[in-house]
Amino acid sequence: MDLRGIVSFNAIFALLPILAFAEASVEGRVELPKSHSAPVMAKRYEIVTIGGALATQPPLAVVYLDGSFPKPKSPSMKQIVQKDLAFLPSLLPVRVGTRVEFPSLDDTYHNIFSYSPAKRFDLGRYRPDERPIPSEVFDAPGLVVLRCDIHEHMRGLILVLSTPFFAVTDADGRFRLRGLPEGRYMLRAWIDSRTTREKPVLLKRGETLHIDFS
Amino acid sequence: MSVAIQASKQGVARFRAKLLAAMMLIVATLAALGLYLAQRRIMADAQQDLQQNFQAELSSLHKLEELRHAALAERCAKLASKPRIHAALEDNALDLLYPSAKDELRDLMEGEEPPPEQAAQSLHAKFYRFLDGAGAVMTPPNPKNIGELDPKAEAQLALEKLPETQQIGYIQENAAVADGIVDEVIAVPIFSTDTGDIISALVIGFKPFELEGKGASTGMKSGIWVNGRLHLSSLPKSAQPPLNDKIADALTKSDRMQDNFLVNIEGAPQLLFYTRLNPASLFPPAYEICVYPIAHSMAQLHRLRWQIGGAGALLLLGGLVASNFVAARLSAPVEKLAVESERDRAQRKRAEAALASTSEELERSARYSADASHQLKTPVTILRAGLEALLTREDFNPEVYHELSVLLHQTHRLTGVIDDLLLLSRIDAGHLQIESEPINLSQLVEEWLDDLGALPDSLDVKIEKKFPAELYVAGEKRYISLIVQNLLENSRKYNRSGGRIRVAGRKNTDKIVLKIGNTGCPITRDAQEHIFERFHRSSGGTAVSGHGLGLNLARELAKFKGGDLRLVGSDNDWTEFEVCFRVAQQAPSRTAEIV
Repeated sequence: MDLRGIVSFNAIFALLPILAFAEASVEGRVELPKSHSAPVMAKRYEIVTIGGALATQPPLAVVYLDGSFPKPKSPSMKQIVQKDLAFLPSLLPVRVGTRVEFPSLDDTYHNIFSYSPAKRFDLGRYRPDERPIPSEVFDAPGLVVLRCDIHEHMRGLILVLSTPFFAVTDADGRFRLRGLPEGRYMLRAWIDSRTTREKPVLLKRGETLHIDFS
Repeated sequence: MSVAIQASKQGVARFRAKLLAAMMLIVATLAALGLYLAQRRIMADAQQDLQQNFQAELSSLHKLEELRHAALAERCAKLASKPRIHAALEDNALDLLYPSAKDELRDLMEGEEPPPEQAAQSLHAKFYRFLDGAGAVMTPPNPKNIGELDPKAEAQLALEKLPETQQIGYIQENAAVADGIVDEVIAVPIFSTDTGDIISALVIGFKPFELEGKGASTGMKSGIWVNGRLHLSSLPKSAQPPLNDKIADALTKSDRMQDNFLVNIEGAPQLLFYTRLNPASLFPPAYEICVYPIAHSMAQLHRLRWQIGGAGALLLLGGLVASNFVAARLSAPVEKLAVESERDRAQRKRAEAALASTSEELERSARYSADASHQLKTPVTILRAGLEALLTREDFNPEVYHELSVLLHQTHRLTGVIDDLLLLSRIDAGHLQIESEPINLSQLVEEWLDDLGALPDSLDVKIEKKFPAELYVAGEKRYISLIVQNLLENSRKYNRSGGRIRVAGRKNTDKIVLKIGNTGCPITRDAQEHIFERFHRSSGGTAVSGHGLGLNLARELAKFKGGDLRLVGSDNDWTEFEVCFRVAQQAPSRTAEIV
């Protein structure tokens, strides 16, 4: 499962609220920090620290519509797999209350844990055939840094959001949010652990707003 | 004489003593210098050996310690890179730091405390703490799990800033107690895996590696000096404070990393060696102190010194004997020389005395003859004048005139004798001054031969001449003339009738030789020896006029100016004399000749 698959999967998932509200859309582009590594065909995103801030490399951004929305009827489920001693996807935005499973595809032990204030957990050591798949519910908004106690270089990020309206940009920074409710909101673009840009938006039924973060 | 020899012997003895003293001085100086250098060299070697042994011993122990440090450092670095510790530090979960570390560093802290003899080698930690960004100790929520420390000891773990590299330090536990424990601590920096910055440091305390017992075979004791205090438990308590002061003094005076000096611990000499345990550490400086008993080495050195002294004494003794022998050998020729010179001096003195008395006698006799001549001359002159006056009278008988003539002749003879005596006495007394001028001998001889020919006698003598026209000799004319006259007169006087006279002159390299020979009765062999003596007259010729001074005078005059007169031979009717003159250096100028 590559990132594009995840992105499309997210897009589909994001379309679900459209049925409920079936209203406005926002599209645009986030100007991403310049990537230092040359683009490759099979992109592997990893979490790096640039100037003390955690971000993906090559850069990606998460754009989300901030506000208070009704709680989902059923908790959703997502997955971050461990493959080739790396988290995949390396950056995963989820809504508060989402359960994330951490299946291992490596033929070795992993021990996923996080000391992040948004979520402290420790899955302990487990093998790929561990069942049920070790999972954790993320019930507070914030950034969760995933680590492996055995493989110290492994890093993953889960951005726990209180909104159901979010999308990960493509490598060029383009994004599209659909089925947004009308009203005044703050549209935010998470770029790295220290940088979140925001723009107030007025959403109207049937309209597609074009917002660029630069 | 014997006194002089005695004095000379004393002088020689003094010389010999001085020679001996000088040689002894040289031998002693050389021996002393040699001994001094040898001893210094040996002492230095011994000291060096001692140091080398000690250093070797120490360095082998230090290697162990270094290995341990390396192992500890590696271990600590590994511990510090544990993901949970990083997570706690980087993800702002400091409350989880110690709990996480408790799990991660469990094997470091847990387990049985190793037995004391293995404690040093094991990596069993006594405690650990984390330092925050400012280098201060992060207080653990529950120190029990991570090794309890008293607050003072814990405060010693803090650093003024986070270290970039591993730091080694030493802290004192229970500093208030006299027997405080020293812990070795290793601080390793913790770098953020995200940013690479130093975010913390892990300080782990161990029981220090003890050298004690390692160098037991040599009696070496070692301890640690930290915070101005020495921790050397095996040292007697009473010896610690003075040693403490000495080390403090040495450390303040020198900023060397290591050094050594001699100390006295309870009367026993020891070599104290210190070396900085944590050079360039952010922790306070700590030194390893080793004391190494050197009583044995000192005793050895002492023995060696005595041996060298003994050898030196023997050497000096040998030198003394050798110098004595050499001095005797050297002074022997001097002694001989002294005796001989003393003998020579005595002989010379005797000869001088004899010479002085002879010369005195000569002088006296010469003066006597001169006086006599003068005293004689006056009456003779008066006598002759009287006789001449009588001869002028005409009233005497013819016999009287004859007698008067004979008497007058005798006065003339007497005058001649007196003149000769006067001249001789002047020669004898050394009062005769002879001018040196070129005289033409040939001319002189010719003149005298002419005079000879004019003499009225019955002898029919033939004269043969064989000499060049000019033969210049050096001398005064009247004396040379006297010599020539004397010889020519003799040659005629002692000739026979019908005989001949031969005069031959020639020039040698530096002499002019005049030979005058004549026929006639030869001089007897006995008389030949005496003809040059004064008042000697040929026995065979008593009838011949003369007074026996002529030849003597002629010879004296000839000899006076470097010449000689001798009898060449007298036999078979032929008597020949030879007279030598000095050659005139230059011929006289024309004017001189005219004059």
